[in-house]
Amino acid sequence: MNQPHIQPADAEQYVLGALEPDAAAALEAHTLACPPCALVLQREALLEEQLREVAQASVEEARLEARVIRPARWNRPRVAAAVGVVMAAAAAVTLLVLRPEQTARPGTQDEDFPMMALPLELPEVPERLVACPDLTSQETCASEALARGLLVQYPQGVGEVPRYEGHSGIPTDALSATGPYPL
Amino acid sequence: MGVALVQPVRSVVRQPEEGARPGGNAPEDEAGLARRALGGDRAAWNTLISRYQHRVVVSLLARGVRVDRAHELAQETWARLIQQQQKGQLTELRLPNLALTQAAFLAADEARRARRESLAGPVEELPEAHQPVDPSVSAERRLLSEEQLARAQVALRECSSSAQRVFQLACDGQELPHAEVAARAGLSVQRVRQILCEVRKKLRGALEEEAP
Repeated sequence: MNQPHIQPADAEQYVLGALEPDAAAALEAHTLACPPCALVLQREALLEEQLREVAQASVEEARLEARVIRPARWNRPRVAAAVGVVMAAAAAVTLLVLRPEQTARPGTQDEDFPMMALPLELPEVPERLVACPDLTSQETCASEALARGLLVQYPQGVGEVPRYEGHSGIPTDALSATGPYPL
Repeated sequence: MGVALVQPVRSVVRQPEEGARPGGNAPEDEAGLARRALGGDRAAWNTLISRYQHRVVVSLLARGVRVDRAHELAQETWARLIQQQQKGQLTELRLPNLALTQAAFLAADEARRARRESLAGPVEELPEAHQPVDPSVSAERRLLSEEQLARAQVALRECSSSAQRVFQLACDGQELPHAEVAARAGLSVQRVRQILCEVRKKLRGALEEEAP
């Protein structure tokens, strides 16, 4: 205990391994008899451990960053997007500069979106409709109806494959009729 | 564990060669040394022990172990590793991490045993009365928090590039001697140590920024 207390710089040199063997041994001997100096040495040692953790974390971070291999095509969309933005901006400027009269006047909906004109007069539904619901006589029924100038009404439309369903709306008598049944 | 096994290791460690200190000569090839040590080459073991003994002792000091006990635990650490190698239980030798882990286990085991034995005794005989353990430096505090780590890394980036390089070479786990660091950085050993002290000072401030 007669030795002077160790300074943090001495403890630092000890931790770094920079002390001569005799000086290191003297420092160790002093810390055995002087708890406050042992605490100073412990703090320096703890700092050394923490600094190694910092150094290794930096190395690990750099290693992870280098280990992440990204496909080259991942970068292409960014370039393409940037090029697209530039081209869009150039097109907008071109429109504003070269065609000011058109950009100043808002276009109508018809000009922007040409729509097919609907016929003013829709064909009228034929008045003389018949049904040929019986599958066994359907073919002869239909040919007879056509021969008489009638239009065969199938449940899902004119001229389609007949589907006999509950909601077809065909009268019950028509289902059992052997000939063309007027609807 | 036999005493005969420990004694030769102690004799080796008490006579550190120049490479044992961080400022020693350039180290022999690490992989070759490990391979030879795994094969039972005592000279390779001696070189590895000399190289990492100080590192193991410092890690034990950081855990609050007295310096004399730290040396004893470091001896026991090497003895156990050699014992495992002789039994064929050591298939890989990654130093110093393996030795640090073994030493930490021994220290924790000893602390548990001492605590268990002292529970029945008087308060003044508790190990805390004799161990220079700072109560504020708990096990939780030993692990750097994310904020501390980020602050330290920011402070490290503020250092010059040469200082960062010296710090990384000395502390990134390769355990290069200071002479080797100096050779790689193109500096003198004295300058390397000076840089390390400066970086330590800066990082110490960053780590203790929010300390109460």
